[in-house]
Amino acid sequence: MLFFRSEEMLEQWLVAKQVERGAVLSIPTLWELSQRWYHNRMSPDYRGRTAKQVQEIFDETGLTSGFWKAT
Amino acid sequence: MEINQAMDEDQIWKIRAFVYQHSAGTTRPPLVEETASHFSLTPEEAASAYEELQERHAILLQPGTHKIQMAWPFSGVETLFQVHANDKTYFANCAWDSLGIPAALHVDAEINAVCAQSGDAIKISVTDQSISRSDALVHFLVPFQNWYADLPFT
Repeated sequence: MLFFRSEEMLEQWLVAKQVERGAVLSIPTLWELSQRWYHNRMSPDYRGRTAKQVQEIFDETGLTSGFWKAT
Repeated sequence: MEINQAMDEDQIWKIRAFVYQHSAGTTRPPLVEETASHFSLTPEEAASAYEELQERHAILLQPGTHKIQMAWPFSGVETLFQVHANDKTYFANCAWDSLGIPAALHVDAEINAVCAQSGDAIKISVTDQSISRSDALVHFLVPFQNWYADLPFT
């Protein structure tokens, strides 16, 4: 997952690398996702998560396209 | 392997917790020898536990070694994703993980990274669990279902 200064920079990178566009998130959305994904990562009780739990995190963040399909 | 059989599930996850506490406290994941010493294990037993944790997608080892490359969101190697928090400089694995560090530690942070195309600086602040305004974007190249096929590429 890489940062880009702008959409233009991302487009140039996709052409240079000859790769298909994946999913693009704004910084506020990425922060929402980060909080949901990582908030309990330091807990001694953390044991990973199921695909269903992953899907719930994506759905709650509004990431509902096939790119974010976990189950 | 006998060592694996002797180490119960609880112990393996306690080792995971130690890896994370060590990463948060020192900015780097523990070496096998450090984990072995902490738990009074042999280095071989600690190495085996690392392999078990990798099997569970809890950490990623550098290929052919027992050095931890990724304990998400922490990176075991220097990267272009620097996170200044807790008076320390952490390295994240990617753009997402650079926000993941303040999210995991619940602390303020200054993130210094670069635009992958231009090399221009990308600076983001987290204060009181709120993010500073930024026009930057984050690109995810690989769909979720393929993330674990090649984690460094993802």
